[in-house]
Amino acid sequence: MNKMENRMILDVQHLKKNFGKVHALTDVNLQLHSGEVLGFIGPNGAGKSTTIRAILGLIKETSGSVTVFGEDAWKDSVKIHKNLAYVPGDVYLWPNLTGGQTIDMLLRMSGQKHTEKTDDLIKEFKLDTSKKNRTYSKGNRQKVALIAACSTDVDLYIFDEPTSGLDPLNELIFQQRVAELKEQGKSVLLSSHILSEVEKMCDTISIIREGKVIETGSLESMQHLTRNVVAVKTASPVDGLDKTEGVHQLTFKNDQHTIAEFTVDSDKIGAVMEILTKCTILQLKTTPPTLEDLFLRYYHSDNGQKVGE
Amino acid sequence: MEQYTQTLTLLKANLKRDWIKITAWLIVLVGVFVAVAAKFDGIYGTTKQIGAISSTLRSKAMVALIGSVPDGHLTTAIIFTSEMAVFWGLFIIIFNYSLAVGSSRGQEESGLTEMVLGGHPVGRLAPLMAAALELLIANGLFALITGAGTMIANLPGSDINGTWLSAVAIAAVGWAFGMIALVFSQLVADSHNVSMYNYAFLGIVYLIRMMTDVSNPDYTWISPLGWLEKTEIYTNNNWWPVVMLAALGVVAFFGAVALNANRDIDAGIIHVNPGSRRSRFLRGPATLLVWNQKSLTIFWVVGMAVLGASYGSVFDSIGKIFNTSPTIQKVLGQTAVRHIEQSQVLSFIGLLGIIFSLLAVIAGVMIVNRLVTEERRGYLQMVMTKPQGRTYILAVYVVFGLILAAGLLFVALVSAMGAGNVVMKHPIAFKYFWQTFVSNLPAIAVFMALMVGLVGIYPRLRSLVWAYLGISFLISYFGNLMDLSKSVLKISPYYWTKKVPIESINTTPLIWMLVIAAVLIVIGFVGYKNRDLES
Repeated sequence: MNKMENRMILDVQHLKKNFGKVHALTDVNLQLHSGEVLGFIGPNGAGKSTTIRAILGLIKETSGSVTVFGEDAWKDSVKIHKNLAYVPGDVYLWPNLTGGQTIDMLLRMSGQKHTEKTDDLIKEFKLDTSKKNRTYSKGNRQKVALIAACSTDVDLYIFDEPTSGLDPLNELIFQQRVAELKEQGKSVLLSSHILSEVEKMCDTISIIREGKVIETGSLESMQHLTRNVVAVKTASPVDGLDKTEGVHQLTFKNDQHTIAEFTVDSDKIGAVMEILTKCTILQLKTTPPTLEDLFLRYYHSDNGQKVGE
Repeated sequence: MEQYTQTLTLLKANLKRDWIKITAWLIVLVGVFVAVAAKFDGIYGTTKQIGAISSTLRSKAMVALIGSVPDGHLTTAIIFTSEMAVFWGLFIIIFNYSLAVGSSRGQEESGLTEMVLGGHPVGRLAPLMAAALELLIANGLFALITGAGTMIANLPGSDINGTWLSAVAIAAVGWAFGMIALVFSQLVADSHNVSMYNYAFLGIVYLIRMMTDVSNPDYTWISPLGWLEKTEIYTNNNWWPVVMLAALGVVAFFGAVALNANRDIDAGIIHVNPGSRRSRFLRGPATLLVWNQKSLTIFWVVGMAVLGASYGSVFDSIGKIFNTSPTIQKVLGQTAVRHIEQSQVLSFIGLLGIIFSLLAVIAGVMIVNRLVTEERRGYLQMVMTKPQGRTYILAVYVVFGLILAAGLLFVALVSAMGAGNVVMKHPIAFKYFWQTFVSNLPAIAVFMALMVGLVGIYPRLRSLVWAYLGISFLISYFGNLMDLSKSVLKISPYYWTKKVPIESINTTPLIWMLVIAAVLIVIGFVGYKNRDLES
């Protein structure tokens, strides 16, 4: 079993895709191993869906390579799809079928069956499967695709912004299901621009911007790029904080300089704590970095900061 | 009246949105009506011609199809109105249905109504009133232009009163059915079901009209569609049915208002029965295509059968028109007359073969075209990410399309044969229909294959198929009249088969057509396997 653990499920190397003169993808690199949940984040139009479409063999790469289960994503798509489930970002379903008929058909097309698990999922997501697809809202269409995908027993699951139409409750159900898949040793590729979602579910994160993957790693390994927000109240004035390396956006809330708010680089927090301790901490609140912060650092080009600065 | 606030603003918006649709429909509906009127004198101008067509029109088959024809002597104008009124009633009802649903339930479904009513000082009943007025304008325009156009055509036997009655009556039936569509729009919550109710209603009133016309025309008053016949245009010019249609429309409109006032937005009065939660039938691209196309396929098959039968029912008059004189019959002898009559009918069958195969091509090509539509609409991504090969999926659509096209051609020809042999003294043998069928298959294959090729290589140019089909139709219809050179005529696949079934099939060009079709299909499949899918 051990050798299975690190089996490479998905390997995208220097993927490039042009649509005519438009360079949709310039350099995309992604790796996904068995039992891993990979978050694929980036703003709208960055190339997430295009990358996924290349992985699914719907479009052919201009250059670079995409292999899934060690097979070529374009040439061997049928073989690959036997062991893969996919939920698109915008789910469009044949208007004339009911949700239930659609689920059964999608399962059969993958060589799967409607099982107890399918029924559980339908119950859990509270989907009325007797309605025609044309009457479903975006969220309900997404549920149909999610139910079909989650009750499919395969090794790789690809979700393209799967919760964009779901309410928070259903989002939670989805997150639990992804956790379950992970426990079973399945691999999941999850694209999103909702960062908290990725943060909760993913082991590894790849960030794409303008057709290029600019950063890949675990959430922890990216923390040096982010800052904690610190709110502190001390007994004696904290001076000299503004001169400390790694402290930014410092504001004092009173004239005595005993109440302060600032952000601090994650790797400098120890040094800052030492200074604060000397002034006797009365109250301390630190907010951990979210991917939002990370994200803003990458995409805020207006402040002229470079990554990691 | 407060609930009608801003009706005119909405009306303007509706007209702005629909004016292309309205214009296009009016051009076709009015244009063809007036053009036929202008040509009619040439077709049924002489006493002989009128005599021949009279007996055809009075045959049960024709009465069933177009309604009863007045007794006594017929004029060109009466024949025209008998042939056109019910058909044009049907067409204008279809036009009104599409406008009415789009301006009521369709608009509500798209969320526009909610935005307009929720966020703006617009009366709750204003959208309904605007829809009713929009239909009134569209039908009013139809009546005006048609009336004026038919006046200019000046059919022998026509009178001003009758001409305007005919135009207004057709417009009135359109408006009345449009108002009934507004009622159905209140009943169910989605526009697709509204259309189903609409057409079911139209089907029922048409059937009632048909059955009562054949058995006892007095009962035709039961069907609002039958009221069109009761105007007795150019014989008695009865305006009462128009008043009744207007009253029906007004009553239906207030019915819709009453229903609308008592329902929530986006809701229907009737809840549509829930569908099945499970499916045993659906298991792959093929069953999915069959499922999605079943209604349309039935519609095509029934439509082609009716069309075939209606052409078949005039077979006897085709021969007769030209050989009614007893002197000619005596001179030529019974056998020779029969021979001439038969060859007239056979050349008519050859023409029918082309018309039927054109329609069959439209049905078949639309199936293959659907693959691209599904790709664009994003349905296909759900299938293509399953272990289903592209070649297989394309093959499913191509095979279904080819079978449908061939089947429709066959159905139309066989039902023409069935109806024709009922009315004819000397039946036409099946082999002639079979020859017509076989000789038209390669043409179907060529058009289908062109579509397949474009779907695979360059889907954006798919409309080339329709252009080619249109050109081929024009060439085979008017080519000789316009004195086009032979090399131009040869562009049309139908050029090569136009002599069938009078002459036997010339196989060489047909084999070439099949070879070209095969090459195009191979190109299409290779292309489809190697191109990016859009969505």
